[in-house]
Amino acid sequence: MTVFTEGNLQIAVSDAVSVRKFDDDAHGLSHCMKAVDFIIELPDRFLFIEFKDPDAPGVPPPARAEFVESLLEGRRDEDFKYKYRDSFLYEWAAGRAHKPIYYLVLIAQHDLSPGDMTRRTTALERILPLSLPGSVAWTRPIVDGCGVFNIATWNRYFPDYPITRLP
Amino acid sequence: MALTKVKFENFTAFKDLEVEFSPGINALIGANGTGKTHLMKACYAACDVFRTGDDFARKLIGIFLPSRRSGNRLVQRGNDQETGKVTVHIGNYPMFASFEEYGTSSGGGLVVRTDGPKQTVYVPVKKMLANAPGFLSLYAAREIHFEEVYQDILHRAYLPPLRGPVDALHERLLDSIRTVIGGEITVNGEEFFLIGEQGDLEFTLLAEGWRKLGLLWLLIRNGTLQKGSVLFWDEPETNLNPKMYGIVMNVLLELQRAGVQIFFATHDYVVLKELDLQMTDDDKVAFHSLYRDEETGEIACRTTGEYLDIRPNAIDEAFDDIYDRQIKRSLGGLVG
Repeated sequence: MTVFTEGNLQIAVSDAVSVRKFDDDAHGLSHCMKAVDFIIELPDRFLFIEFKDPDAPGVPPPARAEFVESLLEGRRDEDFKYKYRDSFLYEWAAGRAHKPIYYLVLIAQHDLSPGDMTRRTTALERILPLSLPGSVAWTRPIVDGCGVFNIATWNRYFPDYPITRLP
Repeated sequence: MALTKVKFENFTAFKDLEVEFSPGINALIGANGTGKTHLMKACYAACDVFRTGDDFARKLIGIFLPSRRSGNRLVQRGNDQETGKVTVHIGNYPMFASFEEYGTSSGGGLVVRTDGPKQTVYVPVKKMLANAPGFLSLYAAREIHFEEVYQDILHRAYLPPLRGPVDALHERLLDSIRTVIGGEITVNGEEFFLIGEQGDLEFTLLAEGWRKLGLLWLLIRNGTLQKGSVLFWDEPETNLNPKMYGIVMNVLLELQRAGVQIFFATHDYVVLKELDLQMTDDDKVAFHSLYRDEETGEIACRTTGEYLDIRPNAIDEAFDDIYDRQIKRSLGGLVG
């Protein structure tokens, strides 16, 4: 089992081919390319994972409120999009984008509702985009699937990669 | 005095239910058949007769419109009960009506009182304003099968504007609605018109959502919705574009701050979420979740002041299911 920490959040991954912290110093192009937090390689796919933690201890209430408002209004969607796209491009250039890729965004916000998560998931599907162009034959999609989760729904869908908040 | 409490005993959908109200906004949620509309209608009837001195039981029959206007049909079916009873508390003053096989009786509403709701209005799901001309005359002269709320809402809407200037708060609310619908509402004869830049537009040619906002404009402009009034609104979201929900919730919150007690029933996530996002700590908001108790099968209610504490939340449960299917479709075989 591999355990990674991002701020106050910890993810434990078992049965993966590899798990990498992606946006650390080894990235080397952070001045010009955005990056997701983690990349998990499974036998048949990659998981690109982005964490946001507005409920982290120490986040001032006004900053949390600003984040929540911007999230619900869709103003964070573009940031999520470019983090994925740049990470995809980076991995493609490194010759490591040879399996289907799924993009998972974890918002550690306790009051993020199913309705909010559905809307943000749909927005990401639209802008990543999930669909292929109708006029040109692509050999693969940019992304094979995506989803927005809070901690509770993440742990429900991914019991093999549980997320916990550190005390 | 505001409505403080209602108690139902063997009445329509309810076996034994008691709900305490906020003096501000009361949001009713629950699946179909959990009695949201019945609760609002009973409370509206009590408010109305408190002001008019009408008989409570008669008003309930007019509003619920049981077949053959038989009050005993309002008694809950199927549990061998012979008496159904409603008690609505306005302040500490109980108004009650009971129904049984051989008659009805009322209490508390037979004398006109001036210390209750100043005005009370019930906005039903189906809108009447476009079909208003001639309706009141027809309703008075013929036995037509319309619940009394349709007559009542037209009486409220036909009230002329208040004399003199409108206060700043109400002017602000009128202005926000005026901006959205592009004009003001007038009544000519018995017909409603939107007067805007394009001239006068009769309500039959107006989008249903605009008619709804136009009704709200009229009720504010003619003083029906003022401090001490009570507004009941069944499914304000019906026929309204979701982008308008924010404006409607803003108007309701402002009216509450001005001293209007508000009840609305909704099935819509965005309506509730708008209320949650716009309400402040100073606002008096109660969320009433009506549901069928799993053990008894009877309707129960859980009240909370916190959006996140609404349980059960029939609307969120529907979104849970949608979210689950969305994630499973989007992530293919990644999740089970």
